[in-house]
Amino acid sequence: MSKQVTRREFLNLLSAAGGTAAALKAGSALGLLPHTAQAASMDLLAANAASRKVAILGAGISGLTVAYELSKVGYECTILESSLRPGGRIFTVRHGDLIDEIGNRHYCEFDDEPHMYFNAGAARIPSTHRNLLAYCKELNIDLEIFINENKTSYVQDPALLGGKPIRNIDYTTHSRGFLAELLAKSLNAGEMDQPFTDQEAETLMGMVRSFGSLDEDNLYKGSFRAGYAAGGFLEHGVQKDIIAFRDLLKTQMGRQLLSANEGDTGPILLQAVGGMDKITEGFTKHVGHQIRYRSMVNSVEVKEDGVDISYDQDGSRHLLQADFCFNCIPSHLMTGITNNFPSQYVDALKYIRRGNAYKAAFQAKERFWEKDDIYGGISWMNNPSNQIWYPSSGIHKEKGILLAAYDFGDGSFHTAMTHEERIEAHLSDGEKIHPNYRNQVEKPITVAWHRMNHMLGCSARWQRNRSGWTHEEEELYHALQQPVNGRHYMIGDQVSMHSAWQESAVMSAQWAMTDMDRRLRA
Amino acid sequence: MLKTFLLACSLCVMCVGGVNAAETEREPFDDRYCTTCHGADGRGNEGVQAPRLAGMESWYLRRQLENFRADMRGVHPQDIEGIAMRPMATKLSDESIDDIIDWVGSWEYVPAEATIEGGDPARGRGLYGGCAVCHGDRAQGNESLGAPALAGQNDWYLVTQLKNFLAGYRGAHPGDTYGAQMRTMVNTLRNEAGILNVVSYINTLSR
Repeated sequence: MSKQVTRREFLNLLSAAGGTAAALKAGSALGLLPHTAQAASMDLLAANAASRKVAILGAGISGLTVAYELSKVGYECTILESSLRPGGRIFTVRHGDLIDEIGNRHYCEFDDEPHMYFNAGAARIPSTHRNLLAYCKELNIDLEIFINENKTSYVQDPALLGGKPIRNIDYTTHSRGFLAELLAKSLNAGEMDQPFTDQEAETLMGMVRSFGSLDEDNLYKGSFRAGYAAGGFLEHGVQKDIIAFRDLLKTQMGRQLLSANEGDTGPILLQAVGGMDKITEGFTKHVGHQIRYRSMVNSVEVKEDGVDISYDQDGSRHLLQADFCFNCIPSHLMTGITNNFPSQYVDALKYIRRGNAYKAAFQAKERFWEKDDIYGGISWMNNPSNQIWYPSSGIHKEKGILLAAYDFGDGSFHTAMTHEERIEAHLSDGEKIHPNYRNQVEKPITVAWHRMNHMLGCSARWQRNRSGWTHEEEELYHALQQPVNGRHYMIGDQVSMHSAWQESAVMSAQWAMTDMDRRLRA
Repeated sequence: MLKTFLLACSLCVMCVGGVNAAETEREPFDDRYCTTCHGADGRGNEGVQAPRLAGMESWYLRRQLENFRADMRGVHPQDIEGIAMRPMATKLSDESIDDIIDWVGSWEYVPAEATIEGGDPARGRGLYGGCAVCHGDRAQGNESLGAPALAGQNDWYLVTQLKNFLAGYRGAHPGDTYGAQMRTMVNTLRNEAGILNVVSYINTLSR
């Protein structure tokens, strides 16, 4: 049976909230605001002629950042990249591209058009990621808005209204209405005045009414905020039917839907025009000649005065001797490469777990979602495919590329399937929202990051539990961030406390270069 | 080496099908991807729990690749590492398996470092008596009995596999006759403590 919240319990909740508010005094809260400094501008010492050789292991964005910055000040950089392309987990898939997933290699058969691409890895740039954005500006990368939350997109859950998809705006408008009505009822009770002054109570009630679109009696009776069932332009709009609160409570998806514009997806999101790998290209225009592809590192030996790296390319073994080494090889692959790192460093490499995000995409034969008032954004499904992303680019063109599934938390469900099983799963999941989906899409690609060659994982996972970083984890993290002998630096989003973002990779590279620079100046 | 590599490329490009002259600009691939997981020169990678291949007998490697390919290993839902491996082998052709075995054979055998803690090698020595019948006194392996070398293998891998045999996660497929033998024999180790003891003893052996 559902539990009723008594008035006393509610009062306790309110006073608890008051206590929290009291703790956040204006002064201290402002003091905690993050700094709004400009993106770090590297001001590095020019390379010393006697020690200017730099080895960069991995051509992901952290490695490219190092190559770009150090080349500017006269270092001789060599980048060893084990795969056939630069960018690491910045991976834009287009016509003819190889998806090098071990056990599931396939080529992308999308039509060969500029807007027919899929960002299988990095796909969004929050406007607060200023270091990455500074490089985009410096490297003349065209950016456009990425549409993330879209109120006309759908929400679908078998537990909600018999699985009938509803618009995001219906879910959120009605949920807010009912939540506000509950709150207004509680606030109207005389004894509730106590925690607030009259002015506060009036302001609060105004917020609540506005939040939930309540009528003059503080009741929620539906709202035009959810759009019109009919009319609304040349005739009076007809209000949509309300979905009962009890029905809305049958799905847990509100947790996702009511916080869509917060956290990392709170700022305006951007994407590179034509695919996220345009950022990679911006770097490789400057440092692409330094990359040796299909070069697999075999050993890394840190010495007193430099770093020796042996690697295999074209069927033979080579030696690269450098004064400094910046290494963005994923931690779980570095553990399989011979090295002489200190034990705590190795412990840290072994500690990090690898993420297993999964993405899939279809080519749509027509942009059927645009006929359904959807332009960009995400539909959410309570099934393993989880999300459908409608492209922000190519609006009103004939075809487009849809993200058919994105499991960022635990992609093992689809990873364990064959390519064909994955495709059928996404068709079957997607047609719960778009009934003719199966006939409207074609040319699938599936990308299980856990099995991508030379990668074998998605973003690094430092935390073993949700309650936060343990002391041991923080120690390992800081150990890994420090250089070995001042000569070898691990970099990449794996050496950050906020993995999975390009910004974190860029900042880890900048941290390492700044540290090297500081030591050289000392 | 280069020649073999190119040959492998051309063989595999042919195997994937649908690759014709008009698409020759497409990035070619081959099936020599073992070192991504199994580490530099196949010396094993604890980070992804992929065992040492360098020094593994060619007949044993072939049998396991064929077992994975035939869904005789790596199918039990609790066999986490086996499940990770099976899809890597599913699409291998006979030619690719031959090529991989040649390639693995070119790697120098270097014994793995001991990593496990908590085992008692003295107790393990007693337990190893049963293992020695097939795997040899020095855990050097015995081809005629189909028993691979154990000495020099990554100890964390041996522990995982013994646990899998004991729990029935490995060796339960009716076609896996050697696996069935192992399942019988591993019962003498009884539990995790027995497994740690015997593996810590194997760590003292060298081939």
